Amino acid sequence: MNEKTPLCPSKRTASAILIFVLCCLLSSAKLVLNATTPATDNVAQRSDQRFAALKAALPARGIVGYIGESGNTGTADYYLAQYALAPLIVEHSPDHTLVIGNFPTARPASFPSHLQLVTDFGNGVLLLRNPSADKEAK
Amino acid sequence: MALLLPAVLSLATGYLIVTLLLPFRPRHFCGWMFQLSLAACYGVGVSSIIYFLLQVCGLGHLLLADLIVLAILASAWLFLRSRIAATDVQKTIRCDRFSPPWLQHALTASFGIALMAALYSIIRRAITHPHGDGWDAFAIWNLHARFLFRGGSHWRDGFSALIPWSHPDYPLLLPAAIARSWTYLGHEDQRVPGALGLLFAFSTVALLISSLQLLRGSAAGLLAGLTLLSTPFFIEQGTAQYADVPLSLYLLAALALLAFHDRAENDRPETDRPPASGGQRQRFGLLVLSGLAASFAAWTKNEGLLFVLAIVSVRLLSALRGKGRWRPLLVLTISLAPAMLLLIWFKHSIAPPSELFSDQSALHKLAMPARYWITLKWYGKDFLRFGEWAFVPGTLLLVGLCFAASANARNNNHEEREDRSSVLVLPLILAGYFFIYLITPYDLRWHLRFSLNRLFLQLWPSAVFLFFLAAPIPTTPANSDS
Repeated sequence: MNEKTPLCPSKRTASAILIFVLCCLLSSAKLVLNATTPATDNVAQRSDQRFAALKAALPARGIVGYIGESGNTGTADYYLAQYALAPLIVEHSPDHTLVIGNFPTARPASFPSHLQLVTDFGNGVLLLRNPSADKEAK
Repeated sequence: MALLLPAVLSLATGYLIVTLLLPFRPRHFCGWMFQLSLAACYGVGVSSIIYFLLQVCGLGHLLLADLIVLAILASAWLFLRSRIAATDVQKTIRCDRFSPPWLQHALTASFGIALMAALYSIIRRAITHPHGDGWDAFAIWNLHARFLFRGGSHWRDGFSALIPWSHPDYPLLLPAAIARSWTYLGHEDQRVPGALGLLFAFSTVALLISSLQLLRGSAAGLLAGLTLLSTPFFIEQGTAQYADVPLSLYLLAALALLAFHDRAENDRPETDRPPASGGQRQRFGLLVLSGLAASFAAWTKNEGLLFVLAIVSVRLLSALRGKGRWRPLLVLTISLAPAMLLLIWFKHSIAPPSELFSDQSALHKLAMPARYWITLKWYGKDFLRFGEWAFVPGTLLLVGLCFAASANARNNNHEEREDRSSVLVLPLILAGYFFIYLITPYDLRWHLRFSLNRLFLQLWPSAVFLFFLAAPIPTTPANSDS
């Protein structure tokens, strides 16, 4: 037998390879169809653009507090705020002199009594002050 | 244009490292593809470390540092190039193995279609998701990059325990690589993390195909490439701006280079048996590259540490079984050292402790049988639905292909004699992940739901590689009568 002749796969192997290839191509088709789905989340809009005015009013570095909505989307909102305001550390706590309020869906009727509103930047973005944390810092 | 400078410098660094250490010269297209995909892998790894070291030392001369490293590597290449001749390792190359023409044509055409589909999908996704796809992109990886870039001398602020969900203990290969490119540009550009994602995804595909083409022949390489390109979850994650695809590249590189080393050891002539002979020294280049890739895996994600542990354990086991592998094990371990030392320093001096090991009730959780059952069920479920394949899961397809093609196993006697201990690395890692799930401080079902498929993805290119390395694909050496 001439060894240069390529080995012919058995019918079973050949069929298996062809089925395998066909399944791969079906998955590729799914990939193409799914690629046309538009993005559901606009990160830039929810972070950099949303917090641009607030960022200009905050110190460049340091730690600020944060209050926001609860639940799963509330956690995402917090990280989008942190992402926009880095290298400032945004701690999810009101125990800082400056506290960011982030309420994308509905602004609460009132805030905890120890927090004073400094600026309302609109769109649910607020800057608050915590005088008690101020005193503690002093 | 400015975007090209950091990429070119990084690729040139990686290319010189690969050229210096790889003991064979590319003679075919697949050889060039192998070298270039590895160049991307090492270039990004080394560049990220250079950038991070400059940040640590408070130095700002990034271009100068990159040029110095490049000059050192180029000098070493000029000095050593006469010694880096092709060696007996060249004999490990199986690029000239061929399959029946109809199979070759069918595979080439299918691969071309899958490549086009993947390119279309990945580019579209990169455009529609400029900030990545999912929380981890902005809450972890790009956030860390912003702290490194925007923080100046205060970059350590980003790794504060006050931002716990950003996982400040995560290693910095990806954030440092992004911040490095932004530093060259002088501003943040969201195309950088997107482009890095594409680079990692396509380097993984190119490395998978080329390494298998070199080791097993064209059909195995094309089938493996087709498998990876047709895995929707891999392509989606390629643009997600997460670190799972980069990690998968480093795991694949480490295992593929080990396979080359083991093949070269297996093929070496009897005259080359004395230890530390010229041939062995050159084969050590493969081990150094493998060790570097493994250490870069640890510098990419914490799971990479588990990989390092698994790969060293497996090679140690191999040495203990009396296969004379102590010297290779030593070389592999030493080559892990530079990036591992940096990582240890980062973990010790900058990052807060990992939350995974901070749970006091971990021992109590280990004694809860329900947690084993839940985790096992999720492993089974995700094995079947992994990859988001259409109709038939890719994992099952591979099992079916293996079963059907086993009739051709007799044609692969040569490869069967090789040391296949590397295969043990993947089950060891899966066992490690299993253990972490058992003790996780998070809700177990939540943790499994949001991470297990990505952990499987990290191993997927390596699993496909090891599968097709051993799979009985019908091929014959073109020069088998010579």
